[in-house]
Formats: sequence, structure tokens, C-alpha cells
Amino acid sequence: MNARERLRRARAVLIAGVVVRAVLGAVAAGAAVLGLFAALEAGIGLPATVRTLALPLAGLATLAALAWVAWRSRAVRSREAVALWVEARVPSLRYALVTLEDARTAGAAVEALEARVEGTAWRRPVSRALARALAGPAALAAGTIVVLALLPPAAVARVGRPREGADLAGPPRGRAARAPIVISVAVTPPAYTGERPFTLDDPALVAAVTGSRVAIAVRGAGARLAARLGDSGLAVEGTAGGARRTLTFAMPARPVALRFLADPGERIVAIEPRPDSAPTVTLTLPERDSVLRAAGGVVPLAAEVTDDYGLAAAWFEFIISSGERESFTFRSGVLARAALDGAPSRRADRRTTLSLDSLRLRPGDVIHLRAVATDRNDATGPGRGVSATRTFRVARAGEYDSIAVEGLPPFEGDTAAISQRMLIMLAEALERRRPRLARDVTVREARDLGRDQARLRRRVSDIIFARLGDEPSGEHAHAPGEVHDEDEARRANLTPEQLLAAADSATTLAAGAERPLDFAADETPVVAINRPLLEAYNAMWEAGRWLEIGEPDDALPHMRAALAAIQRARQAERLYLRGRPPTVVVDLAAARLAGDRSRARGGRREPRGAPAWHRARLAARLDAALGAASGTALVDSLLLLRLDALGRWPAFAAALGRAVADLRAGRDATFALVRAREAVAGESRASPGLPAWEMLP
Amino acid sequence: MSRFVFATARYESGDWDSAPLVPANIADTIARYTSIEVAPSGAIVPLGSPDLFRYPFAFFTGHLPVRFTDAERANLAAYVERGGFLFVDDHNHDVDGQFHRTATEELHRALGPLRRLPNTHALYSCFFTFEEGPPTTSHELNGWGDNLVHRYLNAVERDGRVGVLYSNKDYSSEWNYHPQSKRLFAVDNTRFAVNVIVYALTR
Repeated sequence: MNARERLRRARAVLIAGVVVRAVLGAVAAGAAVLGLFAALEAGIGLPATVRTLALPLAGLATLAALAWVAWRSRAVRSREAVALWVEARVPSLRYALVTLEDARTAGAAVEALEARVEGTAWRRPVSRALARALAGPAALAAGTIVVLALLPPAAVARVGRPREGADLAGPPRGRAARAPIVISVAVTPPAYTGERPFTLDDPALVAAVTGSRVAIAVRGAGARLAARLGDSGLAVEGTAGGARRTLTFAMPARPVALRFLADPGERIVAIEPRPDSAPTVTLTLPERDSVLRAAGGVVPLAAEVTDDYGLAAAWFEFIISSGERESFTFRSGVLARAALDGAPSRRADRRTTLSLDSLRLRPGDVIHLRAVATDRNDATGPGRGVSATRTFRVARAGEYDSIAVEGLPPFEGDTAAISQRMLIMLAEALERRRPRLARDVTVREARDLGRDQARLRRRVSDIIFARLGDEPSGEHAHAPGEVHDEDEARRANLTPEQLLAAADSATTLAAGAERPLDFAADETPVVAINRPLLEAYNAMWEAGRWLEIGEPDDALPHMRAALAAIQRARQAERLYLRGRPPTVVVDLAAARLAGDRSRARGGRREPRGAPAWHRARLAARLDAALGAASGTALVDSLLLLRLDALGRWPAFAAALGRAVADLRAGRDATFALVRAREAVAGESRASPGLPAWEMLP
Repeated sequence: MSRFVFATARYESGDWDSAPLVPANIADTIARYTSIEVAPSGAIVPLGSPDLFRYPFAFFTGHLPVRFTDAERANLAAYVERGGFLFVDDHNHDVDGQFHRTATEELHRALGPLRRLPNTHALYSCFFTFEEGPPTTSHELNGWGDNLVHRYLNAVERDGRVGVLYSNKDYSSEWNYHPQSKRLFAVDNTRFAVNVIVYALTR
């Protein structure tokens, strides 16, 4: 690289240095102007009109600094000037650079000059000189920025975003001139919210996140000034002679009225906190409660977590309850606890698994699962949100399904069949033992079986007659051998033929002569309907006779015939309804859990609605305020009403807020008040006392 | 590929429609556990109709004696020969009841004898695993039935594939409830139906 190329490179570096110097100077000038305005605002207060000049003046100062530095350094455009600048800082060059830049220099002189430049190290001196040139503007820019950062944020914000408001420093003008108390509010939200400080000039209400720092500058018309926030007094700093007094408090958790009591004058400001909501936690897996037949495997857990400002941590919790009746033990644990550090996140998806094997569950244990999250609220919190709880129960051994299956009662002859089968077995056993028994023992045991057979026969006859009439009639008795009156005693001794005759009679009475029962041509209705049971009845009768005389072997064929007849009766009893089966259409999306979850509430609780009496009371207060107050008193009344309506009646509160704004601005508030009246009165309903149209004359 | 439709076979004798809620219930089960495209309601197909060949799976149940017409018998034989799957379930829970005697006789006449299906058959492990063979129904044990658990199912096989699956276990009663009532059960008692249908559709 020859000397001329080195000079061109040095010139490029110097041009870059000039640009940086100009930018640094411009930043310093702009920040200095803004800092000056902010310092004046913080110290003595500036009129809004003056504050609105801050940004334009800062811009002008920036441009002026840019132009001034550029004009001062305009010589950098010339290579001769750059060569001279270098020669001035590196005397050992002895004007070799300047001479080389001369167009008239040529021939052997050039080589000699190149050799001289080549032998001289001038890069380091030039760099040092350039750094010195930039150090001053850089320090100035940094200093002004630091000063700006150290000034009260609210003052900087009021200068950076000026709004129309009170003139706290000068004499009252316009609307402020008529107000006895004028305020300016600076609100600094908690750092975790990430919101910027803001100011309000002469507001009727102050709404901010709970825990925000609220600083109110007051200029009262009188010498004495007191302030109360709800029921608590607030310290007012400063004196009336200082023209400005301040009070500071943290935004409370509930809406309250801030009252200024001056001499003369009184003013109410609504302090309306915006609560930081607790995180909303939705447990997406497992989807539903369940009963586990065996306590094993892995349960996937998943949760969706959201918050209005930022999440701090999230985890899953479980509680295991063991035991029964009055003896229970509990275990609990935490799964996948994680701090959601880093950039503030308003949404997170958490997933993990729960190994049931590791919990050593026993039959009857119940696992309760839920997800938990906390937010970053370090001012009034942290807020804690929990999901709905899912429950898994481990079934106990031998436990039936959770549904109660109530079967239809058995065919009424079933018990007769079972008893008949048992009588047969007993008779067969007696017959097998008969060779080893004395005759009187055989007769006694056979008669016992005979009495059981007779009891069973009476039950069969009850079945027959109960279907035909409303009263068991054939051989009714409440206990073996027990009869109640002469009729029953007579029926107890009926023969089968007499019994059938009685059944025919009962059928005729029940059905009536004009409407006979359906039956075959050669059968009476009783026989047609009850033929199998009547056969059983007859067989039982015969079996009973043989048992009464101690001959079980002769009774057994009749007993088996009775059992077979009862079996036929069971088969004949079945009635099957035929017809078009109902069409059931399956909701396949629901079965596959593929439905639309967007409208699902996910177990989130809804607040209970406000009681009707509260609405009526607010409506009465609105009527009273509109009828009795005007001007400032009306505004104060509406503000107090708004404070009571916040939360429960948001539409009413919003309408009152608009009405207050209109009244304070001197505008017509009729529309807003009508809206408020509609909101608090509810929807119009037809009166049930009005007559129907056709009843009108 | 068309959707799977749970078809109920209608036959001339007996009460073919004795379990009207089974089709929807099993369709719901198929949707819950599998990705099989399934129709939301069942279809009724005459056993003697060529329409039977539109359905790879057909359900056959009843309480009363069964007597096939000649057309039903011939159609059923062709259906099984061509790869169809008929699931026959005795809606009674008797031992040697009327449906059982007559249905097995008719199946024997149409397709040959029913043989015991081993409890290690692929049918019991093709989706869910039933290590002890066919799951027991509540009607086998609830006191009103025969108090006898049928340990095996029977089948008619063609080329190593089950063409007719025959059950005495009364799944018709076990599964005959509205799908929405399934949530009341601790253990879904219709899971075996998934195995039957998956087997029918994949073999």
C-alpha cells in the first residue's frame, strides 16, 4: 500500500469519526433539552402549553447539533486538509504527505517521499487523536442520558407525552380557575406489569393496577387541605405557601373515594383499582374422572396456564387419600414444578406424567390431581390459580361396577321350581336311606316332605288364581297348616277338579260373559292359560298323597312330572315385544373427544350474580342524585355511585363514568345518564296485569 | 374406502330385533377406541337378501326358536364362503335353550358344525387382550340366569378364518344400553366388541 492509499484510508476513518461525533452531539443536545424541561416540571411544574414545546425544542436542538458538528468538520472532505491534519499530529513526516498530494510532484521526488512515508508509523497517533475527538461528545451524551434517567419518571413522562390539564405553576385559567382544588396525578404501575408510568391532569377518576404508586399534586384554593382515602387519612406534604402540595399512596385493592377537604371547597376523586387476575389454569389431561381396576401404568398430565401480566411458576399437585369409614390417611406431592423465568410469559403449556406404580396405591385409594400456577405479582400477590380437580379411584377387590343393575324379578314360578327340585333331591335321598331306616322313621320323614309338597302346591295355586283375580283363592295359607276361616279351610281341602271349577268361576267373574278370554275350543280359559301349572298342581297333589303314606319312591315320578311342568310354564311365560327398534345416532365426535372445546368452560367458576335488591338500591340512589344535586355535587354523587357499581354492574358504572366526563367538560350528559338508567333498571318486561287484546273494549 | 356399518341380520323366524340398542352402542365403542371410520347408526339387512354382501360384519341375535328359510340358508352359506363374518349371540341365558338348540341346528345345516374356539385365538388379542377368553357377562352371574359361565365361544371357520362366531354369553343383553350410559360403568363392557369387529374387518 503506497502513501496515497494510506491517506485515503485515513480520510475514510476520519469521515466516520465525524459522523459519530455529530450523532453523539445531537443525542446530548436533545437529551439535555428534555432533561431541562423534566427538571423544571419536577421542581416547579410547567404549564401544559410549555410542556408541549419540549419535544419540538429537543428535536431542533438535535438538528442544530448535527449541523454544527458537520459544519465544523467540513474540511474532512479535502485530502490535502486530511494530509495537513496528519502532518500536524506526526511531525516526523516532514510534509511528505502534503507534498505527495501536490499534483506537481513527480519523478524521483515521489519515490523519495514514498520512502519517507513508508518509514514513518503514523497510524497510532492518528487513532489517539480521533479517540480524543470523540470522547467529549460521548461523555456529554452519556451524562445527559443519565440525568434524564435520574429524573422522576412521571415528570419525564409528562414532558414526553404532554396532555391538556391543570396549570399547577401559574395562575388558574379556564375551568381550573373555577375549581377550588386542582390536581395532577402521576401513576407508576408495579414493575412486574411492564406498564409505563403515566400522568392524569385533573381527573375525576384514577384507574390503575392494584399496588401502583399514585402521586397526586394538589393546589388548593385555601390554606388548609386534608385528604381521606376511604376511611383513612392521607398525609399531605407541603404548604399552601409553596403553591403545591402532594400526597402519595399505593392503589388499594377495592374502589374507594379520595376526598379532598379544603377551605373552601371539597372534591371527590374515584380511585378505581384494576385487579391483577390470578392465573387461569385448565387441566386438559386427564380429561375426566375415572375408576382404575388396577393401580398401574402412567397417567399423562397436561395443563394450559394463562395470566394477564405474567406467569412465575406452574406445577401439578396430587393428594392420595387412603382408608375407609372413619380412618383415612393422606399423602400429597408436587410434580414438574418449574419457574417460568426469562421473558415474562402470559401463557404456558405444562406437561408431565404420573407413574401410578411409584405411588404404591392400594384398592380403595383415591388420587386427586390438579394443576397450580402463580403469577409475577410482587406488589399485592402473588396470585395463585388452580385448575379443576380430577379424581382417580382404585377399585376395591370384589367391587361391582359403579352402575346398579336391577334385574327384573324372576318368574314367580322359579322359586317353585327350585323348591320342587329340592324336594325331589330330598325324596331321592330318603329313598336311598330307606333300607336302613325303621318304617316309622321313613313315614315321619316322608310326611315332612309331604307337608312341604303341600305348601308348594298351595303356592302354585296362588299363582294360578292371582293372575285371574285380585285375591289368591285356591289354597291360600300364611303358614304350613295354618288356615284363617272356614272358607280357607274348605279351599285347603279342594280336589283338583273342585279347584278347576273354582278357577272357572273366577275367570267368568273377572272377564264377564260378553268378553270371554281367548282359549281353545275344548279348554276353559283357566286351563288354557295355566295348563302347565295345573299339571304341576295335579302332579304335586299325587306326590303328596304318596308321601303322606310313606312311599317316596311312588311319589318321585309325580314330583318329577311337576318339575317338568313348571319348566314348561317358565318357557311359556316369556313375552317378547316386536316392532321397529329405536334409531340411536351416535355422536362420533363426542365419542372420539374431538368436539369443539372453544366454548367449554373447563370447570371455571363463575361469580354469583348480584342480588336484585342491590340493583334497586342503585337505581334509587341515581334517581335521588339526579333529583337533588347539580354541578359539582352531582358529579361527586355519580362518582360515589360508580364506585359502588363497579364489579357488579359494569355497564351501569361505565355509563356513569361517561356522564361524569360529560358533566365535568360542560357537555350535555343526558345521553350517558339515560344509558345509566337503562343499565340499572334492566330489561323492560310486560306487566302480567295488562289485559289481553281481546278483552279490551 | 367406505365406512364400517354395524349391520343387524333380520331373519324370518324368531325375534331378530331383541337388542335394538346394541348397534349404536358398539358404533360408539368403535369410535372411542379405534380410528375406524364408522357410521353413527346401524343398518338392518335381511339375512336372505343380496344386500347382506354389502356388509362385512353382521350381528344375529334373538330369544325364540330359529328356522332359516331356504333363501336365508343359502345366502348365509355364500356370505361366509365369500369372507363375511356373522356374530351370533344367544339372547337367552339358559343352558340348552330354544334359541341355542335351533340356531346351532340351523347353522350346522347351512355351514357345518360349530367348533369350540380356543381362548388363545387371535380374536382375543387382536385389539384388546382377553387372556381368559370371552369376557363374562353380568347375566351369567346375576342370579336370574343359569349361574353357569360359558368358558368358550364356538365358531365356524373357513380357510383358517372365523366366519361365524357363536356365543351363549348373552352379549345382546350386556351391550343393549344407550351409549351415553357407558360413562356409568367402571369398566367398559363393550370392549370385546372391538376385538370382534377388528377381527372381522382385518382377516
